[in-house]
Amino acid sequence: MSNYVCSKCRQPAVFRMRHHRLAFCQPHYLEWFIAQTARVIEKYHMFSPEDKILLAVSGGKDSLALWDVLWRLGYSVDGLYINLGIESSEGQYSNESEQYANDFARQNNLALRVINVQQSYGQTIPQFASHNQRGREKPCGVCGLVKRHIMNQIARDFGYNVLTTAHNLDDEAAVLMGNMITWQVDLLQRQSPILPAEDGFVRKAKPFCRFYERETAAYSLLRGIEYEEEECPYSEGSKQLVYKDILNKLEETAPGIKMNYYASFLNTRANGYFVSEEKPGGQADQELHPCPVCGQPTTSNGACAFCRLVKAS
Amino acid sequence: MPVTLILRKIEYTVEGTITVKDALKQLGLSPESHLVVFDGKLLNENDVLRNGQVAKLVAVISGG
Repeated sequence: MSNYVCSKCRQPAVFRMRHHRLAFCQPHYLEWFIAQTARVIEKYHMFSPEDKILLAVSGGKDSLALWDVLWRLGYSVDGLYINLGIESSEGQYSNESEQYANDFARQNNLALRVINVQQSYGQTIPQFASHNQRGREKPCGVCGLVKRHIMNQIARDFGYNVLTTAHNLDDEAAVLMGNMITWQVDLLQRQSPILPAEDGFVRKAKPFCRFYERETAAYSLLRGIEYEEEECPYSEGSKQLVYKDILNKLEETAPGIKMNYYASFLNTRANGYFVSEEKPGGQADQELHPCPVCGQPTTSNGACAFCRLVKAS
Repeated sequence: MPVTLILRKIEYTVEGTITVKDALKQLGLSPESHLVVFDGKLLNENDVLRNGQVAKLVAVISGG
């Protein structure tokens, strides 16, 4: 069986992408990956070198790859690691992930901010979730709430005007599938590679939204980035993993179908679908007020969901 | 001695000589969600694994 050659230099290829009909050797894959990221940042007007960027870092392959690419592209970007206090059967999952983030920052002379949820708010995520309606079965809902709050708070407190996350196309396609199954039109409207700043929320950008998850993993491996390979113990059996599995089964038989699914959605959304008649332009459906406790925007009349969670615990 | 593939500390074996693509298929693993690394190098799906080799499987799908 003949093996693949690099689409650029004809040397043996180490990585092939059927949906792009491309294969690359190591140096040309790394080069291509960085150039593609730059194209996405430009296409969606995500940010410029003048912006002060905060990157949510988990210690996993995606966020460390994004940090690596952004500093190589010359952006001013600091990391934020949120230690959730999660343990797994293998050990201290959150502490180990923090170590990967710390090591990467130190090796590349980058600034990493660390927020330890238990030290800052008294309890770990599993503890918060154990006595909250939204986390009784799994803590993922509480985890998402806490992370969103802290990310925006840190960005506001320290003057970052852009918050980036390393969501990849598989993440976005899985979320899209979940939102479409139940036709959550308000969530479909807000699913975008870029969300502009509004009413106390900083701008959010997802520069990896056009990469397959295997592409971000390949970048980390080929770049030699050490990352947390263990999964969060609470992700087992999650709906998102089920949707990803379904999409990958489709991808095996129809290369490019995941890309097409997500890109077609973005085009459809850009053409004005998923916009409610009462709120043209995709504005928030409910009015936002500053939370009287923390000052962050909330649709609640009183304290925001995060402050209510902390107070009740 | 067969090919050994290690995924998150769990060892799987397949008979060589075999391509990466066929090894993943035998193990019921999707090539969309797994990469194979041997001797520190990323292998593509047509690369061949031989008996006695020990390769690492990298699960690329994460999320919760």
